[in-house]
Amino acid sequence: MIQKKICILGAAGVGKTSLTAQFVYSKFSEKYLSTMGVKIDKKVVTVDDTSVNLMIWDIHGEDKYKKITNSYLRGSAGILTVIDGTRAETIQTAYEILERVHRDIGKIPNIFLLNKHDLSDAWDINEQALAELKKYGNPIYTTSAKTGEHVDSSFQKLTKMLIKP
Amino acid sequence: MTQTDLPLPLYQHIASHTIQQLEPAWLQLEKGSERIIQVGGAWQYYCQQMPQAGQQASDVFDVLIAMLPISESFELPQVQLQDGKYTDIFGLCEPHHDWLLFCDVTQNTLNIQQYHQISNDFILLKAQMKQTLHRYIGHEVSERIAQGEMQLDAAGERKTIATLFVDIRGFTPFNERHDAQMVMQTLNDYMNGMLPAILQHHGMVDKIMGDGVMAVFGVLPSENHCCLDAFHSAKQIIQAIYTLNQHRLSSGLEQLGIGVGIASGEAVLGILGSHERRAFTAIGRHVNLAARLESNARVGEILIDKTVHQTLGQSHAFTAVTLTLKGIGQSDVFSRILPCIHGDD
Repeated sequence: MIQKKICILGAAGVGKTSLTAQFVYSKFSEKYLSTMGVKIDKKVVTVDDTSVNLMIWDIHGEDKYKKITNSYLRGSAGILTVIDGTRAETIQTAYEILERVHRDIGKIPNIFLLNKHDLSDAWDINEQALAELKKYGNPIYTTSAKTGEHVDSSFQKLTKMLIKP
Repeated sequence: MTQTDLPLPLYQHIASHTIQQLEPAWLQLEKGSERIIQVGGAWQYYCQQMPQAGQQASDVFDVLIAMLPISESFELPQVQLQDGKYTDIFGLCEPHHDWLLFCDVTQNTLNIQQYHQISNDFILLKAQMKQTLHRYIGHEVSERIAQGEMQLDAAGERKTIATLFVDIRGFTPFNERHDAQMVMQTLNDYMNGMLPAILQHHGMVDKIMGDGVMAVFGVLPSENHCCLDAFHSAKQIIQAIYTLNQHRLSSGLEQLGIGVGIASGEAVLGILGSHERRAFTAIGRHVNLAARLESNARVGEILIDKTVHQTLGQSHAFTAVTLTLKGIGQSDVFSRILPCIHGDD
């Protein structure tokens, strides 16, 4: 079976662990627990009759004082860059991470996930921010780790991008 | 400091103490491959089945998939294992063999996690508070408050401000005729038209009372006179409702009109309330006048008091009218009507 490593990246508290838990275990918890280092999960995803064993590296959130260690990204085939849709400032962190990924391991497939879409009343991403994000030319999904909205489909999409570039 | 700088007994003590804490376990790998040659250390700490010579390292540890063979030395800090333990994994590239070293860092990681948790909780809480402020006083000012560049003082500052009241005409009968959920949706649509027009002109939403809003101008910094900001905001509110009514008309929904009252004068600004629940508010004689003007305004009408009219000057096409205002009596005020409902314009 094909094995691929993907990394879930983004600022602290954007919902990386919740998205992974929803995708792998179909579970969601309201309680926020800060991820330390990296937690690795796996799930077999089938795309057009091809089964892929996805190794999902849920990496700690990046902030001003704690940058993501480059070695976590080693051997990664693709990334999901998560943005908190209720905190527009997390877009900037996403850009910074993505630029570092491009610099250190090259341009690998990426999907932007605008997470917490269930909190529509607190949504903070305006048209201008969305237009800026679209300039990267990467797919963008609005997701909710809570309701499961677009969670499976975004992982499926990334898997497809990995095996059929 | 290097190993040779330390007396041997001290070096041995530190090494022994550190090794005991780290519970090291290692794999010696065939050069340029992931085939295990030799195994050693406290593997029982990291996995249920001890790795064996001849196995592929990534078959034993999923975490090593896509990481091997070791082309250059690396360090993977704080890798969470299935049982909640944390390990640092080192990949060492040596001339004849490669090495994988596992060191336990569970206790240290859990200690640091407590600080991270508090810090991240604080970041999320701060973002929530900023968003709440943003809704009431606009993005620019909430950012300045969040950065500590500005504060809303509870001391009771006196200031000349303009107060604007806006309210939907005929909302009570509308409320009685329709389902509560539909009324709520309609109100939200109207508020989405009204509130941005207030925030964009440096107004501050003081209260939302059902279908009515009280906003104050002159509290937040602006280059314009507070009366001019309030007037421009009123015009923009009516324009927004006119646009909204167009959508409602085309969807077969009932149109609703609004009336606006603006008055200006000195007010005391401050935080009102008990220790448990507080709210920013403006108190002054003109506030009551503005409320009375709004309740007398017809659909699409902006009623302003003399002070606001004097500040605006003659160029805004207001007409002088005399009204009898409840609790105030006969008052000379000024009126301007703008299109608000389709079919009336």
